[in-house]
Amino acid sequence: MKVVFTIARNDFRNFLREKKIIISGLLFLLLVIVSIIGGYQQFDKQNKERKEAQEAVRKSWLNQGDKNPHSAAHYGTYAFRPVSVLSFFDVGLNSYVGNSIYLEAHRQNDPKFSVASESSSLIRFGELTIAFILQIIMPLLIFFIGFNVVTKEKEGNTLKVLFSQGITMKSIAWGKLYAIFGIVSMLILPVFALIFFLGLMNVGQGDKILFLTSFSFLLLTYLVYLFILCSISVLISAISKTSRSALLVLLGFWITTCIILPKVAANLGSSIHKAPSGFEFRQNIAKDEENGIDGHNPSDKRFDRLRDSVLQKYNVKTVEALPVNFDAIAMQEGERYSSMIYNKHFERLRQDYLIQNKISQYASLVDPFIGVRNFSMSLAGSDIASAFSFQEQAESYRFEMVKYLNNYLRDFSVTGEWDKKASSSIYSNIPDFHFTPISMNVRLKDNALSIVSLFMWAIICAFGLSSLKNKVN
Amino acid sequence: MLTAKNLVKKFGNTTVLKGLNLTVQPGEVFALLGQNGAGKTTTINLFLGFIEPTEGNTYINGISVQDQPVETKKYLSYIPETVMLYPTLTGIENLAFFSSLAGFSYNSDELSGFLTKAGLDTVHHHKRLGGFSKGMRQKVGIAISLAKQAKVLLLDEPTSGLDPKASNEFSEILKELSSNGISILMATHDIFRAKEVAHRIGIMKEGELVSVIDSETISANELENLYLQTV
Repeated sequence: MKVVFTIARNDFRNFLREKKIIISGLLFLLLVIVSIIGGYQQFDKQNKERKEAQEAVRKSWLNQGDKNPHSAAHYGTYAFRPVSVLSFFDVGLNSYVGNSIYLEAHRQNDPKFSVASESSSLIRFGELTIAFILQIIMPLLIFFIGFNVVTKEKEGNTLKVLFSQGITMKSIAWGKLYAIFGIVSMLILPVFALIFFLGLMNVGQGDKILFLTSFSFLLLTYLVYLFILCSISVLISAISKTSRSALLVLLGFWITTCIILPKVAANLGSSIHKAPSGFEFRQNIAKDEENGIDGHNPSDKRFDRLRDSVLQKYNVKTVEALPVNFDAIAMQEGERYSSMIYNKHFERLRQDYLIQNKISQYASLVDPFIGVRNFSMSLAGSDIASAFSFQEQAESYRFEMVKYLNNYLRDFSVTGEWDKKASSSIYSNIPDFHFTPISMNVRLKDNALSIVSLFMWAIICAFGLSSLKNKVN
Repeated sequence: MLTAKNLVKKFGNTTVLKGLNLTVQPGEVFALLGQNGAGKTTTINLFLGFIEPTEGNTYINGISVQDQPVETKKYLSYIPETVMLYPTLTGIENLAFFSSLAGFSYNSDELSGFLTKAGLDTVHHHKRLGGFSKGMRQKVGIAISLAKQAKVLLLDEPTSGLDPKASNEFSEILKELSSNGISILMATHDIFRAKEVAHRIGIMKEGELVSVIDSETISANELENLYLQTV
């Protein structure tokens, strides 16, 4: 072990004296600083905008004046998806999914106003986030540092001198790995410290534990990912005859894992398991609402059955004789039914996307980049699961809001009494929308395959390094 | 001491060494002459344990290289034809690194002393190797051997590419090392340098040691003629 650390120390010192590494490192840090400033400014802006918007719609909701509760349900409100603190680190899919949902009676609206819809087409090329730099640019930097760590010693005969000293290739490889990993850690640890500091400044009191665990897992995940990349660069350098061939292999690996395979996995996922388009999704819901959830329960029959049961319950013959507002009961039943249908289709859609995502997760077994990308987005709260969770919570909130108003209407008026106004004070009985982020347990469970694949890669790389034999050429 | 017993090495169907027997005594310099492909470097690589013999065995200080490769490395030092070492490190830093790998810990003065003994001017001790000539790098290589207190020195074409002055300096250093009891096996094309430095000279041809000459019994011209006739 002493030999390994002696080699590591020596190479670390060597790296610090190489101009190309110093310049690359400085450029990397510059890029990271730009991305942190840009990402944090965007996060701060969006966070403020959404907080202000949420406060404004709440104020508007509370001050809508005396009116019929059903009018209030149609007046509606908005649910805004709060920006997760770590999204300035990994914006994930945030830019492509809607950030707000208009919540009203009778209708489950889609999230609207994604960042992408309000940006130029350049956003399709991706955003310069810290995660993007660590996932895509950092491998290039590592390969640039590491491609010739062993080959240059072969080419300069230094490897023969080391072997003649009784040093094994295994010790040399591990020493060089620690040296590269040391340089990489020197670059990324201050970045993570800054992320931690900025995150801690912005996280709400209730979300502190989730932030701390997310951050810890994020740091660990990236350290494992970078360990894998450092190991691969040393391994390829150790088994290559020349620096040139090592560089070509590593660049090929980068293009395959960071560019080609993620696209292939995504396309494979969507072609193996097709999800309905937005239009089909809405059409299927409309069809179920019209025909009943199983296709044999038309809406007018449901209405008749509801009316009969209510009349029987109150022991009256007509709806006009009811002491309560039958219109409100019917509307609430309609809400319950349409919400049930919507939830059924939404769950199907969610499952479709999860299956597609699963295919991508399986691809992480052959591509560590996919694994780290998936888990990173999940930890940052910017993945598809988080977007679905927002939509589910918004629908649940909408349902409870409309239910409260319908029940209020049912009890404070009679059938046909549409002009009767309720005091505006009742609106404060409906709490403001609050988004609860996905728990860490669920995130870990959802990403188990990506986590396993990352650790599997790390173990294989460590095994590969330990299996290297002394070969002079 | 270096010993090769019935050393045979085949690469596929090609036999590179055909039953080589060789002993280099402590304090002796043995030069191996021969054309490219005669088996000189293969012999050195077998002593270093870089390759396995097809038959026979090599010994360093009586210890089998094939059976105890790590143990034999404690006694030997090797300088290849061209050695870059670490260009971004100074002479002292390179020496400290290799000494540390060999399990020795020297202070700056001691390291500087080894470099001086190896013939490297003091002004270069704290300069980076990137600016060193081949001769200067070889002196650092010699200093590594001195610091390691090696009993055996293996040299592969050590004077190739050196200017006459550097080559002469190198010869003097080798003589000094051998006078201190170090066994030196040197593969070379340089007939005149071999005659000057070596106690014995072996001429190899197609994997066989066809002639071994005591260098004191032959002049440089005679050695050249013999070499040309042999190969």
